[in-house]
Amino acid sequence: MIDALPREPLGLKEPTLPRICLVLGKGGVGRSTLSAALGSALADRGERVLLVEWTIAESIAPWFGSPEADVDPVAIAPRLWAMNFRLDAVLRTYFVDHLKLGLFYRHVVDGPHVRAFIDAAPGLAELMFVGHLWWLTTLAEKEAGLVFDRVVVDAPATGHGASLLDLPGTMASLGATGLLATEIGRVTGMLADPAWLGAIVVALPDELAASETLELVPRVTRDLGRPPLAAVINRCVPSLESKAHPAWIERLSERLSPTARDALEVLTGDLRGRARRAEELSRALSGQTRHGTFLLDEQLATSGKTSPRDVVRALAEEIRTWLPSIENSGHSPEKGDAR
Amino acid sequence: MTARLHVLLGAGGVGKTTLAAGYALSLARSGSRVGLLGIDPARRLQGALGVTLRDEALPVTGWEEPGVAPRGALNAALLRPEDCLRRWAEESASDPESLAELSRNTFFLALADRLAAAADVLAAIRVAEWAERDPATTDLVVDTAPGLNAIDFLRRPKALTVFLEGRLIHWLRAVAPSRSRGALSDVLRGGARRAVGGLSRLGGTRLILELGDFVSLVEAMLERMLARLDKAQKWLHDPTTEILLVTAVRDDAADAAHKIAGALRAAGLAPTATVLNRALPAALATELTRLTRSDPSENQAPIEPPWPREAHVIATYARLYIEMQERVAAAVAPLSPRLVIVPAARGLDEDARASALTALGDRLRNGLQAADR
Repeated sequence: MIDALPREPLGLKEPTLPRICLVLGKGGVGRSTLSAALGSALADRGERVLLVEWTIAESIAPWFGSPEADVDPVAIAPRLWAMNFRLDAVLRTYFVDHLKLGLFYRHVVDGPHVRAFIDAAPGLAELMFVGHLWWLTTLAEKEAGLVFDRVVVDAPATGHGASLLDLPGTMASLGATGLLATEIGRVTGMLADPAWLGAIVVALPDELAASETLELVPRVTRDLGRPPLAAVINRCVPSLESKAHPAWIERLSERLSPTARDALEVLTGDLRGRARRAEELSRALSGQTRHGTFLLDEQLATSGKTSPRDVVRALAEEIRTWLPSIENSGHSPEKGDAR
Repeated sequence: MTARLHVLLGAGGVGKTTLAAGYALSLARSGSRVGLLGIDPARRLQGALGVTLRDEALPVTGWEEPGVAPRGALNAALLRPEDCLRRWAEESASDPESLAELSRNTFFLALADRLAAAADVLAAIRVAEWAERDPATTDLVVDTAPGLNAIDFLRRPKALTVFLEGRLIHWLRAVAPSRSRGALSDVLRGGARRAVGGLSRLGGTRLILELGDFVSLVEAMLERMLARLDKAQKWLHDPTTEILLVTAVRDDAADAAHKIAGALRAAGLAPTATVLNRALPAALATELTRLTRSDPSENQAPIEPPWPREAHVIATYARLYIEMQERVAAAVAPLSPRLVIVPAARGLDEDARASALTALGDRLRNGLQAADR
């Protein structure tokens, strides 16, 4: 069923980073930003990269000054493309272009009742999404002339995103035969292949996001049968402690008006809390991912960057420095912890 | 319905959950009988309240003013789709056998498993159920899933209506008893045969039989769910309902607020207020910048030891934060009649959680009332 898989993916130089990188994490952690930055970093070193979103309003392409992307990949930067999954369009492609069942599609699938069923049936949209990732990395070249070395997927927010991974189990329990069974078999093979697909979990150094991440990582490990490639803690802040001037905050605080003094206390409390939690979270995640935990700086605090595109660019630079530690070793769990 | 509904919407990470918890605590302290429904599939609300919540509403304590007999009450629940479905299946099942059959049905299991993604739809139903079960509730505060996901809260979801409103249900109902009688196609004609045949070509006959069973078993339950959903939607459109659009000092959160406001408009709704959360006073940036600037031309008396690099980092951060805050405030102000600015507060992660949360809720309520005047 998965005979069409090219064993030597096009132009893929480092087989330790899988063909598809699925970026998971709850809403607001910077999943799209990280996906775009990872994609940019890979494109910068010469790969053809597709960024896949599945959202009501596509966000990455506009950061690059392009209109919102739809199902057809649009070029947003050199060697970098973006697309947004849309069930109806992908269903059409699946039946008409892939299965060559245009007549069946027009008379049955596209009928209001079957379409409504497909929209409503649990797991079918997710199956089509994961199936589309399969297609993008196998037949898309032959059937649609789409050639990508790497696909970076900005997965839907936590609950939904992680449910993509246990899809084969849930769908298999339906006892399906026919096309559905074929699809399930395909995506099962893809999800089981570490060279084909891997997950990257994004977290924030705040209490609530941290506890979710600690739930998400074991879940991904269970569903995929292997740990995520890496965890990324986004929006980390530099330490405020200064050896040379231990009491600088107090000295500064004394000179402020009461309003500003209170605000400084809130701000430094927040930044210190983040620094502490990033450390706790990366300790808690130690050994739970294949390549370790990577910390990304809050760009506002370090580089003063605020526009999404500048942030993506700055993060892509940081990511480029980690890629070797992900790719050159089977296990270097804590290497990325050093910033 | 007499209770007032308060719905918080916004991008992920803007502090909706914390604000919802604080708002509920503050309302309870001032004497209301408050319900707090967390619907985040990732269960963030319990972290914010520091208690373990379940699907069934539980009384929350620890917020009462010391030495004062509490006049209000706070009941909180966390939406757990699988528990909701089980409870709704129980209340609608005609007999124990069909309930047992339903709980074995693979479609039902898959539905229960998958509904995490549709938590907002269930939440709307849960909101109406809440009013049925605790009619004395005066205020119901609802936290929602991040971003546009929450918009399902406002819609009549296809996932439920398709089974009831399409003709598909009649065909599938016909399929269910046919299992004992024989071939699927015998009971179906014309368009029905084509649709069901198409489905079986997609997924196999067994799948269709299971689906037929599912539909006939679940019909009463779905009808009840839809009736509650309609009630919740009427409630949402009630003039007393408060829809709070929450944003933090982040450009992407402001973008999300715009998109949510657009989706609300499309549903015939509008935010009652926009809440800019975690604001800092502009004075912080100006004072830090002035203090850490080392400009010899100003001829100041030399400040003892010079400021370390960290002080400059903080000053720059504060300045950029305030700039972004002003930009975000300007961007979201047109989205609703009122903009409430909630200052960043300390202590929300620490031990004094309930009092810090209540203080946050008080600030939000004061802000909303001040904007009312």
